[in-house]
Amino acid sequence: MLVFIAKRARNAVLLLFLASVLCFTLVVSAPGNVAILIAELRTPTATKEDIAKVEEELGLNKPLLERYGFWLQGALKGNLGISYKTGEDVGAALRSRLSVTATLVAGGAVVAFVLSLLVGFIGALWAHRMPDYIMRGIALLGASTPSFFVGALLVYAFSVNWHLLPTFGFSGPASWVLPWLTLGFLPAAVLSRVVRVGFEDAMAKPYVLTARSKGLSQTRILFRDALPNIAPTYLNALGTQIGTMVVGAVVVEPLFAWQGLGDLFLAGVRFRDFMVVQACLLVFITFFVILNVVVDIGITLTDPRLRRQRS
Amino acid sequence: MQSIKAFAKAVAALPRAAVFTIGAFILLGLFAPYITPYDPNAQNLLMAGEGPSLAHWLGADHLGRDTLSRLIAAARTSLVGVCLVLLCAHSIGIVIGTIAGYRRGWTDEVLMRVVDVGQAIPSLIVSLAVIGIFGVSYWNMILALALAWWPSSARISRAVAVNVMNKPHMEALRVLGASPLRIYFVHLFPATLGAVLVYATADAGAVALAIATLSFLGLGIQPPTPEWGQMLVDALPYLEADPRQVILPGLTLTLAVVGFNILGEAVALNRVPKPLGARLVAARRRITASWATETRS
Amino acid sequence: MTAEPILIVKDLTIDLLTAHTAVRPVDSISYQLRRGETLAIVGESGSGKTVTCFAPLGLMPVGVKADVSGSVLFEGTELVGANEETLRSLRGKSIGFIFQDPMSALNPARRIGHQIAEVAELHLGITPRAAEARALDLIKMVGMSDPNARLKQYPHELSGGLRQRVMIAISIAAEPKLLVADEPTTALDVTVQAQILRLLKEIQARMDMAMVLITHDMGVVAGAADRVLVMYAGRQAEVGPTEKVLVAPRHPYTMGLIDAIPRRDDAIGSRFRGLSGLPPILGAPIKGCAFTPRCRHSVEGCGAQRPPLRTTADPAVMAACPVLNA
Ligand SMILES: Nc1ncnc2c1ncn2[C@@H]1O[C@H](COP(=O)(O)OP(=O)(O)OP(=O)(O)O)[C@@H](O)[C@H]1O
Ligand SMILES: [Mg+2]
Repeated sequence: MLVFIAKRARNAVLLLFLASVLCFTLVVSAPGNVAILIAELRTPTATKEDIAKVEEELGLNKPLLERYGFWLQGALKGNLGISYKTGEDVGAALRSRLSVTATLVAGGAVVAFVLSLLVGFIGALWAHRMPDYIMRGIALLGASTPSFFVGALLVYAFSVNWHLLPTFGFSGPASWVLPWLTLGFLPAAVLSRVVRVGFEDAMAKPYVLTARSKGLSQTRILFRDALPNIAPTYLNALGTQIGTMVVGAVVVEPLFAWQGLGDLFLAGVRFRDFMVVQACLLVFITFFVILNVVVDIGITLTDPRLRRQRS
Repeated sequence: MQSIKAFAKAVAALPRAAVFTIGAFILLGLFAPYITPYDPNAQNLLMAGEGPSLAHWLGADHLGRDTLSRLIAAARTSLVGVCLVLLCAHSIGIVIGTIAGYRRGWTDEVLMRVVDVGQAIPSLIVSLAVIGIFGVSYWNMILALALAWWPSSARISRAVAVNVMNKPHMEALRVLGASPLRIYFVHLFPATLGAVLVYATADAGAVALAIATLSFLGLGIQPPTPEWGQMLVDALPYLEADPRQVILPGLTLTLAVVGFNILGEAVALNRVPKPLGARLVAARRRITASWATETRS
Repeated sequence: MTAEPILIVKDLTIDLLTAHTAVRPVDSISYQLRRGETLAIVGESGSGKTVTCFAPLGLMPVGVKADVSGSVLFEGTELVGANEETLRSLRGKSIGFIFQDPMSALNPARRIGHQIAEVAELHLGITPRAAEARALDLIKMVGMSDPNARLKQYPHELSGGLRQRVMIAISIAAEPKLLVADEPTTALDVTVQAQILRLLKEIQARMDMAMVLITHDMGVVAGAADRVLVMYAGRQAEVGPTEKVLVAPRHPYTMGLIDAIPRRDDAIGSRFRGLSGLPPILGAPIKGCAFTPRCRHSVEGCGAQRPPLRTTADPAVMAACPVLNA
């Protein structure tokens, strides 16, 4: 098992290295002379000397490989450069916004997890009967509704109509509920279908016939025999959905005027602020890679065939 | 021919609701310019925020544009966008997938690792990155979505291609000396195309959602071209006063996507056996009941 | 063996309804079984052996609806038309099942110890810990080495023969009165086959169980069964004590089956003496004797009317062939 984790970690580092090269190339190949941009940002009437000074400062006159090393060193320390558009320190901006996005995605993930299991279990327990059809209808609708529409509907219902929850802002648990639901709704629907189809698949397997021949009840077979078999698939899908939710912050944060990474990334994309886009991509990709390793370990732990093979 | 037949057969077996919804979406999209009651972009500030009336069935938005006309015109925007994205994505995907499935070996290995990475990254982040680099424009949006979508197409194409290549008659063709190009273009490519078309249709819902999402973020379709996501974000500031203008485009978009998702579900669930419904049991019992009177020799 | 039969099957007919077809794989089967007795059901693949035994207990795969008619009396309880609750209370507790394919019958995601112990826990009303101890005993009983380690293993870590032993342990965990073994040795290699069969007979003797042994191997029949029921296309061709049916078969189909067994005095490379032709495709019931097209002794009337199962010259044997039993 430890060997497996070590191997996965090595692959992850390799992937991260590739990602960093990609992100670096992105900014290097971006149009426009960076030194001039920054110099003019500091003093609108920048002279040749000012520009040279900036070049010297940021190491822009060095060969590419050296610049990459310089940049990577900085990035590892959390120094992600300065925005060419606003002059802000990108690393500092990221750090200040991290907790907002973390709150959003964590809450969304919990919503997706709980709702999907609830809907999936109800569907499986009453398979091919009314409750199942209702749950499947809800899941179908949920998986087809864009999150910005869900958000708009929730705001209209809970804030505008019933005045129960704040419309926007990041100010304590009450203000978190709607963004969480908005972010978690579509993934919940997608995951509940994974649960439902997984059960359907598992319950048609020969080992379920064996379990029935033991005189076990249908419910017990569902949870003791089928559930362990769908766990790896579910974990995998959950990982994918959490990844999607991180990017989903780009939609949900602006909707509720939250100043998180998604909001920052969106602004970066809109105004083609390459340093910001680069930094956000780096953070997101790092998260995906780590998430993938965690999911892989989770799958290995829940699937005995993989567990033995990899331990 | 082969691919058309496969496609027609697949459509015939689909759930009614999906065929109906998707059919309506496609028809509206195709004939939008002829059936919109008003010019979707004609402003009439006297009408701004007006509710439904005989003349304007679904009312007008904050600029006094006829909502029904805009919803219908948006179907066309969406349809064209979805088709372009799927066309680009599947062109890349099918070429890569069939090459991987035809060559196998290390070509397959390398291509599929790339596809793995492409599939592991959420499609929205790929699109955003592409738009972040190249800037906001219609064609950049199409490109961005195509780049996000080709890996899944490549994966399916490869699976189909491997299947086709493993059929006994392919081996026979090779032994008989058919040239690789002939095998590829006459036998492999059309068969893959037919199978992939079904998946492409099922995937269209996700693409429509992505277009609407990018437009909602102001990175896709630009005003004044009507598009559901963009109509919704346009009306969002007036949510309190006129929620209809937010809800209508949202509902229309959801409905279109529901159609495609029913289809996707049908494709995915086909292989799992399920208990017979009451109607099917009754039909089979009629057969067994007839055995009491007649037997075969 | 003179006691009341624990299982009385009479005119058992089963229609299977699926999304695509309706078939009648079991048509008027009747037999009885006493404590400690073994009945072998033999027949070609697809003749309805599995459905005969599993459908009346509600053990059909998803997507198949079984319409069962006739009568199956187990210890005085009528199973045909019984609700799922009744059937479930019998399964595992009073009737144990061994499935045809040991490779897929065990749950790949659960330890075999749990898979065995849960049966004991459920039906013997014992604590989880006692059930685990019982699982250990059972694993020893079915002759697996290193029983303590086995409890914690998963099915994919075991060979086919070991999995079949686990399956046997599961089926007898609650000491059922009847064991239904569906081709328990077919999927295994020859050396293991004999071991498994011996194990089954041993356990049967120890627990005084009745056993229905499904097979298409006449060698297994000869070695393990007290009585044998020969099925052809869902119908009963012949039933009687093993020694009588194997030595003096009355039905042409039984003759063909026995004739097909390779003999020691066969010259190497001599012609294979199997039955020619194929069994009929199931569908609407066949009017006359289903075996007519392949029968060497068939006469004009065979195809006209379905031959009833009648007592033959030997009162212990019954056969459904008017030509040879006239
Ligand atoms: N799951 C099923 N779906 C559809 N038809 C079935 C199913 N199971 C059995 N049948 C039908 O019932 C007939 C008898 O099947 P059964 O499994 O009882 O045969 P068998 O004698 O056990 O054969 P084998 O030696 O191959 O196990 C088959 O020919 C088939 O037509
Ligand atoms: Mg069988």
